[in-house]
Amino acid sequence: MKNLQHRYEALRTILREAYFGKEHVEVGEQWQVNAMRRIRALGPIPSGANFFLFFEQFVWRLTPATCILIFIFAALLFKLDFTPEYEVFTSLICDTEELSLAQLFEF
Amino acid sequence: MPNHPRNPSDAEIIRRIIDGDVNSFEHLLRKYQDHVLRIVKKHVPFQEVEEMAQEVFVRAYQALPGFKEEGGFRQWLSSIAVRTCYDFWRKRYRSREVPMSDLSENHREWLEKTLSYQSDTSFYEKSREKEAKEMLDWALDRLSAQDRMVLELVYLEGLSVKEAAGLLGWSAAKVKVRSFRSRKKLETLLKRVIPT
Repeated sequence: MKNLQHRYEALRTILREAYFGKEHVEVGEQWQVNAMRRIRALGPIPSGANFFLFFEQFVWRLTPATCILIFIFAALLFKLDFTPEYEVFTSLICDTEELSLAQLFEF
Repeated sequence: MPNHPRNPSDAEIIRRIIDGDVNSFEHLLRKYQDHVLRIVKKHVPFQEVEEMAQEVFVRAYQALPGFKEEGGFRQWLSSIAVRTCYDFWRKRYRSREVPMSDLSENHREWLEKTLSYQSDTSFYEKSREKEAKEMLDWALDRLSAQDRMVLELVYLEGLSVKEAAGLLGWSAAKVKVRSFRSRKKLETLLKRVIPT
C-alpha cells in the first residue's frame, strides 16, 4: 500500500513536470498582430455596453431573491382560496337579471 | 495628438481605451502577452495556443469597462485566460472532438521503468519528457472539462482552492468537491496503468 502511494507521488511529480514543461513550447509572433486586428475590427468600446454590463453584474445577482419571492407568492396564492371570487364573477356574468352585486354581499 | 506619458500605468491605458483609443490596447497586449501565453500553453493543445491567446485578449478588450482595479489587471487577465481555456474544453467535449488516444505498450513499459529507476536520473531525464506529456494528455482527456481544469490548477499547478475558485469564477466549495472527485478519477485511471 505504502509502495503504491509512493508510486502515485512519483507519478504526480512526473505529471507535474510534464504540465509545466508545456510552458516552454515556442509559438509564433503572428498571433499578436491577428489579435490587434480583431480588436481594431471591433472598434471603440461602445458606451451602451455599460447598460448590459450593469445588467450582467447586478441584476443577475437578484435572481435568487426573485425566485424566493415567486415561491412565497405562489404559496400564498395557493393558501388563499380564490374560488369564491371566481363564483361571484361567474354569477354576475351568467345571471345578471336576478343577482346584483349588493345582493351577493347580503349572504 | 494627445500627450501621453512614456510609461503609463495600466489604469491610465485602460482609461484611454475606454475613451476610444483602441490602439492603446497594444500596450497591454505587449506587456501581458507572455503571462497569457504561459497560462494558455498549459491548458490547451499546442496547435490551439495562438488562437486561444488571441481570444483571451479579445475577451479582455470587450470586458474592459467592467474591470475593477481591486485585484490588479494581471489577476483579472489571468482569470479571463483560465475561463477561456475552460470554455475551449467545454466546447470540445460538447462536440465530442476530444481524441481518446490509448496508452501503448511502450507507455506502460516507460512508466514501469521510470517508477523503478527514479534514482537513475540519466534514464529519467532522457525518456520522461515526451512520454510524460502523452501520459498526462491521456489522463486529462478522460476527465470532464470541469475536472480537467480543477485538476490542472489544484493538483498539478499547486494553487490553493481559493485561488483556483477565483480564477474559474466558482465557489470554493465547488472547487473543493471537484478537486476531490477529479483526483479520485485520476487515481482510478492510474491504477490501471501503474505496474504493481
